Amino acid sequence: MNRSHEISVEIGGLPILLRTHDPSFKEMLADRYAKFLGGSADPRFEFEVDLIPPPTDGEEEDAHVEVRERNWYLKRGDFRAHWDPDARRGTIRQSANPYSLDSVLRIVHTLVLAREGGFLLHAASAIRNGRAFLFSGVSGAGKTTISSLIPQDATLLTDEISYIRRGATGYEACGTPFAGELARVGENQAAPIAGLYFLAKGPENKLEQVATADAVRSLMRNILFFAEDVELVNLIFQAACEFVERVPVRRLTFFPDERVWGLIR
Amino acid sequence: MVMSAVDSTFFTLNEVATVIWQAADGKTPLSAIVADRICPTFDVEPDVATRDAEQFVEQLSQHGILKVSDHPFEDVASGPVEAA
Repeated sequence: MNRSHEISVEIGGLPILLRTHDPSFKEMLADRYAKFLGGSADPRFEFEVDLIPPPTDGEEEDAHVEVRERNWYLKRGDFRAHWDPDARRGTIRQSANPYSLDSVLRIVHTLVLAREGGFLLHAASAIRNGRAFLFSGVSGAGKTTISSLIPQDATLLTDEISYIRRGATGYEACGTPFAGELARVGENQAAPIAGLYFLAKGPENKLEQVATADAVRSLMRNILFFAEDVELVNLIFQAACEFVERVPVRRLTFFPDERVWGLIR
Repeated sequence: MVMSAVDSTFFTLNEVATVIWQAADGKTPLSAIVADRICPTFDVEPDVATRDAEQFVEQLSQHGILKVSDHPFEDVASGPVEAA
């Protein structure tokens, strides 16, 4: 009998049940998302993962996300997925490539977060003294560097993709398993966001205020969103505007050594 | 922002990198992009611009986002490519 194997991956407090017939794939997921495994009793969504051979061509196809009759269709060269949010179910067709599943999960989370005032951000984040700090910027600006310089009393949430959700009292950053160049999975913790820093490397450490319009522009440039959907894009823009109204946004130019963390407070 | 289909890595591009990305048509040499698009637009020395552009292209190439070749690509239908 070809029995199915289940695993629940809970990122940002959102449990998603993944079901596969391949036990080795399930074990790989269990290892990859070890810090983010949840109970499978009450998942928010369920996905059947149908494993197929790796693509021989077309793997360079761009990600494409669209909604038709309240159903989402996600595709890239290496995966095809269908998701019915109302039925709370979906299917994913992909090879046994963890990066493909990472991408599907990220897209699903961006769609869920968009209706809740949150978003995924190309940023590192960390918790120190019970408060979360986000570090964003263009590639090469220093997200990996500042993550590698993290003090011992701080907790790395991610060096690559930050999870921002809006709560009753403000914004929270949550850890994610999506690692960047540091190849270090974040901790599954959450804390209120105390600040967002747009990074640049320089000869000395310097903090500057960022005008609201510039903050929104920079934030939008770093928000992950893939869907061709006017309503949700508007919601993301509103979320970015609201975020910069409530969270201090600064530009942090830093010399890459541990002293930079003295400015993060 | 561009995403690698190989390892799902993200790249948020600055203004200069965006110009290179948009100009990478598989036929135009990187040296021409730097000379014709970067140097006239941005306040940067040609040597510095060339070095930075090569680093950027190498980085994207390592993640399978950009193809690098010493001759123009014949088939450029599958996405941005760059002739170095």
